Amino acid sequence: MALLAIRNLRTRFATDRGTVRAVDGVSFDLAEGEVLGLVGESGSGKSVTALSVMRLVPEPPGQVTADSMSFDGIDLLRLSEAQAREVRGASMAMVFQDPMRSLNPVLSIGRQLVEVLQRHQKLDRPAARRRAIELLEMVGIPLAEKRLAAYPHQFSGGMRQRVMIAIALSCNPRLLIADEATTALDVTIQAQIVDLVKRLTRERGTSVIWISHDLGVVANLCDRVNVMYAGRIVESAPIRDLFHRPSHGYTLGLLGSTPRIDGPALRRLSPIEGLPPNLIDPLPLCPFLPRCRVSVAACRERAPERRDLGREHWASCFAELNQRTP
Amino acid sequence: MWRYLGRRLIQVPLVLIVVSLMTFLITRATPGDPVQIMLGMQTSKEAADAMRAEFNLDRSLPEQYVLWIGKVVTGDLGRSIRLNDTVTSLLAERFPVSLQLALAAMLFALAVSIPLGVLAALRRNTWIDYLCTGYTVLGFAVPNFALALILIYVFSIRLDWLPITGIGSSEAAAGGWWTYIKPFIVPAVALGTLQTAMLTRLLRSSMIDILSQDYMRTARAKGLMPATVVIVHALKNAMIPFVTMATVQFGYMIGIQVTIEYIFAVPGMGSAILNAVVTRDFPVIQGFTLVIAAFFLFANITADMLYALLDPRIRY
Amino acid sequence: MALAQPPATPRFAGSIRLAARQFPRHRAAMVGLVCLVLICLAAALAPLIAPYDPVQIKLSAKLKPPSFEHLLGTDHFGRDVFSRLLYGGRTSLSVGLLVVAFAFVLGVPLGLASGYFGGRTDNLLMRLVDAFLTFPPLLLAVALVGLLGPDIQNVMLALGLVQAPVLARMVRGSTLAVREEVYVTAARALGAGPGRIVISHLLRNVVSPIIVQLTVVFAAAVVAEASLSFLGFGTQPPQPSWGRDMSEARRFLGDAPWMFLAPTGAIMLCVLSINFLGDGLRDALDPRAWRTRRAVEPDKR
Repeated sequence: MALLAIRNLRTRFATDRGTVRAVDGVSFDLAEGEVLGLVGESGSGKSVTALSVMRLVPEPPGQVTADSMSFDGIDLLRLSEAQAREVRGASMAMVFQDPMRSLNPVLSIGRQLVEVLQRHQKLDRPAARRRAIELLEMVGIPLAEKRLAAYPHQFSGGMRQRVMIAIALSCNPRLLIADEATTALDVTIQAQIVDLVKRLTRERGTSVIWISHDLGVVANLCDRVNVMYAGRIVESAPIRDLFHRPSHGYTLGLLGSTPRIDGPALRRLSPIEGLPPNLIDPLPLCPFLPRCRVSVAACRERAPERRDLGREHWASCFAELNQRTP
Repeated sequence: MWRYLGRRLIQVPLVLIVVSLMTFLITRATPGDPVQIMLGMQTSKEAADAMRAEFNLDRSLPEQYVLWIGKVVTGDLGRSIRLNDTVTSLLAERFPVSLQLALAAMLFALAVSIPLGVLAALRRNTWIDYLCTGYTVLGFAVPNFALALILIYVFSIRLDWLPITGIGSSEAAAGGWWTYIKPFIVPAVALGTLQTAMLTRLLRSSMIDILSQDYMRTARAKGLMPATVVIVHALKNAMIPFVTMATVQFGYMIGIQVTIEYIFAVPGMGSAILNAVVTRDFPVIQGFTLVIAAFFLFANITADMLYALLDPRIRY
Repeated sequence: MALAQPPATPRFAGSIRLAARQFPRHRAAMVGLVCLVLICLAAALAPLIAPYDPVQIKLSAKLKPPSFEHLLGTDHFGRDVFSRLLYGGRTSLSVGLLVVAFAFVLGVPLGLASGYFGGRTDNLLMRLVDAFLTFPPLLLAVALVGLLGPDIQNVMLALGLVQAPVLARMVRGSTLAVREEVYVTAARALGAGPGRIVISHLLRNVVSPIIVQLTVVFAAAVVAEASLSFLGFGTQPPQPSWGRDMSEARRFLGDAPWMFLAPTGAIMLCVLSINFLGDGLRDALDPRAWRTRRAVEPDKR
């Protein structure tokens, strides 16, 4: 029984220029303890998917619909706002991209930690404080007790993100969503944070959705990856399979444009040419077609269906990049 | 931070000197002899001369200024030419009254602007937002004395709910706190409406800006109750510029109060200065403007200090 | 090969045209503009439009409510309120305009010089301005007019002196901001002298906040003139003046409310129109506020 099961999620936004289809038919499952990567460029719909799951999409101007979306037995679509508030922060938590902007500058970090504990675990102040100190130590912040009174601007970027992680994990959520959590950090700090998340979530069996456009981090951390483009998942595979048998034009492009430390030293990166897709009025074809280097005739005639490539790997692509008979 | 405060405080006497110089020059350089006004046209020359000597009006201008400043530094603001009293004791009578009126106006402004500004930001483009915008637009457009007349017409004349005189009078003081407060209501509203408009507009736009910040999204993602989200997370940020502006406005109010004091016969600083100008009562004009300017300066300094206190990111 | 000649059109043209096109989109501003123009016309043409002589006392007709003969009623001297309104408008509006001009002439060069040259000039000028700003404006005006005499020139002088520092401050701020912009350094690197920089670059960017601030000054001057007259320091009787009329109307609030409602309404209308106009100008002149056309389509799926 999957922890999170999403079928045909569609999130749309009404704008001046028309209705933007930020998420256009996304379906996937997430098992308990699984670390799922959600990869794609800016605007591919990864963040909006996460926000839709968390019911954080403002409706209006947004509109979240799906055939079904269930988490731990709860029907996420039917939740009232009050019920959603019980779930958020407690069973489902999120870490955002820029910890400087994601923490309230005028509240001490102790305050920002304690309030979650008081809200969901109904702890009184002293108990919440003690727990907050434990949490800070858990994420590797030294002198935790003194740090409770400190403000976000007094921390470095990496420390702030650790605080965010502490806040997110404070109530032992079943699901942690990390939206570009390391993108705004130094590379060395990135590694530390990734290790921290890995360790903490493995210890607790927390499921993770890791959103990133950085394939390197994803390779390190995730069990499975969903590649998104133009609001849809175009390929889904276990992590090793994705790198060894990329089966979609976009995945190929992504891999080709990622520098590799173990590759030939002077290999030229091949960026993906072209412009981002039209999310308002998409044609009923593969959305990646205009930028694809491996397109075939069929691509211009109809939209691709999912092709099962065995071993829990599928892709919506006509180009038979890695033929493998199941 | 204390060094910053020290630096600001040092600047105060400098600015006050310039202000006092300006007042001095304006009063002395303009026509009109206070002694003549006071004693009338028929007095003898000796009496007039004697009075002039008493108030140092027979000395040269720079001398008069230096003498006056010298006395000010020791706390002696001189005697009123017109009224038989020291400027200081006149101040002691009048300043508290003006202060109370300013406070009343400020309370009104806060009571209206905070809920209105917050609600308008939360419910954008609904009737409450339009009400708020409409109110601020009108608040800016109506001069306070015009508003005062309108309020008097509606509340005192037509409806007879509220009195229009009697601020600070002895009967009011004797009759219990509601009787004391009642005469403040109409003038406070008239005086405070402009401030309300400014503060509401500021709060609304601050809140709108804050509500779109990332940390608000984090607060919602934590599943916090909406009241917590708005008050603790959003409002606390918005209060920083709000409190600063409110403090500065408060400092400014005593100067603006003139027309209101005139209409409602409030025995405050503004009406005192008004009379002093007409009667050319130099010591009163100089002394009172000095105090008003000092009050304004201190309000500004307090506003800056409050800003530093409220915003943890600022450390001088 | 010779370089092509640069086009002869002044650099302002394009942006002014764009701004001018933006302006009509702001409905409130258009309404404000129309109102203001009508008010100004009415005031200017007062001698032609006014049905009665505003200072003619006619005690037999005193305190009459609005009617066909007296559109806005009569005051306690039997004078026609509507005529007094029109003539009072002349005073208020002309004072307002002259104050704007005075504040502009005094404040803008001061602010520009202070902002551009910086250093000790800036320090000195700003200390002066600070001292001025510490003075409660109305009191300053009262003092000046009270002491110099209730002449219309003194009123303008006083109000102009009060508004000029604010304008200077604002201009200085804008100048400072613009001075540090990269394009100014670029211009200097290309050999442009201070005069050219000031005119071509600084002024253009400072112009829009100045224009907006001038509308604020105008509104403030109209209100200030009314306040001064109200207190007895401005226009003297029997000259019609909005503020003065309101002051005289105080005694008759209950019996003849039209006496104070008419000038109150006139002032409010003036200030509102000017404010809306200012808003519209501000939005039109700030490219960031320009609105694109809206096209909302229904979801086709």
